[in-house]
Amino acid sequence: MREFISQYFDVGFMVDHFDEVLEGFWLTVQLSIVAGVLSLIWGLILAQLRQLPGRGFLPVRFATIAYIDIFRGVPLLIMILLISGSIPSLQFLPEWLRIPQWFGKPDNFWFGVFAITITYGAYMAEVYRSGIEAVPRGQMEAARSLGMSHRQAMRNVILPQAVRKVFAPLLNDFIALMKDTTLVSAIALSEVALVGRDLQSDTLNSSALTLGAILFLLVTLPLARFVDKLISREQGRFTRGAPRVEAL
Amino acid sequence: MASSGGPMVRLENIHKRFGELEVLRGIDLDISQGEVVCVLGPSGSGKSTLLRCVNLLEPPERGEIFIEGRDICKGPGSAAGEAGWELDFVRQRVGIVFQQFNLFPHKTALENVTMAPERVLDRPTEESKRKATQLLERVGLADKLHEYPERLSGGQQQRVAIARALAMDPHVMLFDEVTSALDPELVKEVLDVMRELANEGMTMMVVTHELGFAREVGDKVIFMDEGRIVEQGKPAQVLDSPREERTKRFLGLVLER
Repeated sequence: MREFISQYFDVGFMVDHFDEVLEGFWLTVQLSIVAGVLSLIWGLILAQLRQLPGRGFLPVRFATIAYIDIFRGVPLLIMILLISGSIPSLQFLPEWLRIPQWFGKPDNFWFGVFAITITYGAYMAEVYRSGIEAVPRGQMEAARSLGMSHRQAMRNVILPQAVRKVFAPLLNDFIALMKDTTLVSAIALSEVALVGRDLQSDTLNSSALTLGAILFLLVTLPLARFVDKLISREQGRFTRGAPRVEAL
Repeated sequence: MASSGGPMVRLENIHKRFGELEVLRGIDLDISQGEVVCVLGPSGSGKSTLLRCVNLLEPPERGEIFIEGRDICKGPGSAAGEAGWELDFVRQRVGIVFQQFNLFPHKTALENVTMAPERVLDRPTEESKRKATQLLERVGLADKLHEYPERLSGGQQQRVAIARALAMDPHVMLFDEVTSALDPELVKEVLDVMRELANEGMTMMVVTHELGFAREVGDKVIFMDEGRIVEQGKPAQVLDSPREERTKRFLGLVLER
């Protein structure tokens, strides 16, 4: 038992290395927010491309569906390795893109951001799509009948309702994304998992990793509770007064 | 307003099918300015589809539609698709009100009415607000300007929907079974608004099961069945002494209710 506690929950060890772990976690948070925001935007763009009407946009819709299918199916770790190991050697790219150092962040931070955005954009596009499809057809018909273009109808009528419907599932995806940022440790970005792992192999003590896990829980648990609350509130809206579902 | 005194709306040989199902099999119809045409018929007779053809929500496969003398779907059925349709022209002249209201649930009553004029016609906010307020007062909802649709009764929602359509200054109004989703006691308040609109000279095409409204307000009644116009004429003639067997049977069933 003592061995167990000193292996995983050595408080003195945690205190000694708290600053390092926290610094790693701070990088994790930055990576999550930057990649999360970009994924949300990219997913929304993909979802809209997928919904473009008419025969003329068939190739765009097809390409978008192919993109979404492919990148939902490829493991994030492989995307991270593919991007970080290839972009720096693509000589035709300008240097600011081959070795991105924007906002004082190292290139492996940005390669992580690219990989996560490419992958999670595809996931989030599907979430947005479910929201768009959950908006009754009559909404688009009403907007178009009033003279709005497809684009205006999407922007003013469909998307505001769709985003409200999928806010909770999007937040769920964000929690998953945040946890998956630890995969960027594979390309030597000193985020919380790599910091913990280096300490573990130096000292044969896992408590820094446990501390990292605790820091994660401090963020993810409240978020998950918040999601649950949102979902039950949303369901409450729909079960109260049945005819309203139609009217929505 | 109709150019050269022709009909406001002219439908010529309209055909429409959904897959195997032939919904409209050659409809000809003229609606003059200020006329109120009520369309009756059993469900599945194609009456709603016909109405939705007029503003190209359901573009016809064959036939021509003229609004104020202008051909709005040149080469229907051709690959031209939306390119051959005068969508802007139609949608700014023809308003529609739906059975299910289709109000925008994330907007207040006032915002529902101001949205299209502001986005489509670039009407200044002040002006569109003033106009929307007048319209909502006119349909008896002066005290509901800032309510969300969720908090309005069906009848109130439908009146907002009428105001929303009127805000675009349409020359023709289409009503697609607008009282069918309402509780019986709420039907009258919506019909009253429509009656007033008719008295003010609005050109209207009304798909309805309200025979009383058709009789009192309609200038012409059309009875449709299986995608064709079976009988048409003055309300009193069609409703009281129908010539066709199918019309008689339908009216018998409706009156029995």
